[in-house]
Amino acid sequence: MKIDFTRSGGFAGMRSAVAIDTENLPSTESERLHRLVEEAGFFDLPAALKSTAPGGDRFQYRVKVEEGTRRKEIVADEAAVPERLRPLLDYLTGWARASQKRKTV
Amino acid sequence: MKEVDTDSNSHAACICPIYCIVPPHILKRIAEHGNANQKSWAFRTLAISEQARGQRQAVGLIAALATTSTGTKRRTVYDARNSSRLPGTIVRAEGGPKSKDPAVNEAYLGAGTTYDLYYKVFGRNSIDERGMRLDSTVHYGRDYDNAFWNGQQMVYGDGDGELFNRFTIAIDVIGHELTHGVTQYEAGLEYEDQPGALNESMSDVFGSLVKQYRRRQTAKNADWLIGKGLLASGVKGKALRSMKEPGTAYDDDLLGKDPQPGHMKDYVKTHDDNGGVHINSGIPNRAFYETAIRLGGYAWQKAGQIWYVALRDKLRPTSQFKDAAKATWMAARELYGNGSLELKAVQQGWSEVGIKV
Repeated sequence: MKIDFTRSGGFAGMRSAVAIDTENLPSTESERLHRLVEEAGFFDLPAALKSTAPGGDRFQYRVKVEEGTRRKEIVADEAAVPERLRPLLDYLTGWARASQKRKTV
Repeated sequence: MKEVDTDSNSHAACICPIYCIVPPHILKRIAEHGNANQKSWAFRTLAISEQARGQRQAVGLIAALATTSTGTKRRTVYDARNSSRLPGTIVRAEGGPKSKDPAVNEAYLGAGTTYDLYYKVFGRNSIDERGMRLDSTVHYGRDYDNAFWNGQQMVYGDGDGELFNRFTIAIDVIGHELTHGVTQYEAGLEYEDQPGALNESMSDVFGSLVKQYRRRQTAKNADWLIGKGLLASGVKGKALRSMKEPGTAYDDDLLGKDPQPGHMKDYVKTHDDNGGVHINSGIPNRAFYETAIRLGGYAWQKAGQIWYVALRDKLRPTSQFKDAAKATWMAARELYGNGSLELKAVQQGWSEVGIKV
């Protein structure tokens, strides 16, 4: 499974991104990501999760997942993220942060 | 009264951004002349917009009844205790004693200075001009690297401590968030592309003015930085944005380089961040700085007044940068007259960033 993740916006307006191929991951990590994608019902989500409420400085997420013949890209406003998708986004945010760090080592 | 607003329904379209895309006069045409599907969609959308407008008016009435006398600050600070439930538990109310928690006191004081700037300098009674309560929540989420306005209140994260400190640490952040509320009640700038970047810029402009007002700094003495103190020690940068020199606030191995342009020729086209609303805001930010520095003295007295009148009376939900240039020019003409130095400064300010008025 391949995942492309970007978080943008927020007060700081900083972009943070990571690309993951689960084939290159230890099996526990790979299994965890597969499970989070399943639990999010990722392939059944609408392509755009837009917030209808006014506001400012919230994050915006863009996630692309490819698995076998399945392929999907979603864009989600932080205020419109469904509960079931939250754990996957939090996990990928942590990955993006960690991979930024590795670049500097 | 909005000068460019000839359609009394245009506000209704923006209550619910999903229905915002098509203005009411076009919806009405579709309802009259479209095919069966289009007609039904247009009628439904119009009905929802009208309903939303009615709700806003009803809410407005209740708010007016609940409003205390003009010019009364009503601040409440809540603690989310690292959850994402809002607003959280009340920890300090108006006139209440100081807390031991610096985030609580910063949120309280920052909201107070912002209220004072709007009331004493611009004659505005709170966010909605009706004495709306100023609610803030601190300690939102865990290691949350952000602050935001959710349409009703301000929300501040603690930062992760490694890249970001707590978001209440910089008073301009507080002014920035409250100004999102003012923009919501006035120009209603859509949060996407150029209108979104203008929305962001208004928040930076008045956020920076809150800081300058608190410190009694002139345009010349101010640092024009947004979010100074927010970057954790060890991060290479002085702040998150520079209104004076967009693109120079930080350059760090981990965070990358400040991506803000300061001129139209460098406008960034992107799908991220709602079309780069926090990036392209550098252009109107610098136009404000260039105007203020030409006028000298305290930036809130003249440049701030001009921008405030533009935000309150001239800008519309879909205004572009060139509309903002024209709006501020019109505001300056109204306030200071034809041939005034102020009018010239506005023109030069926008010209510096490649926008001709």
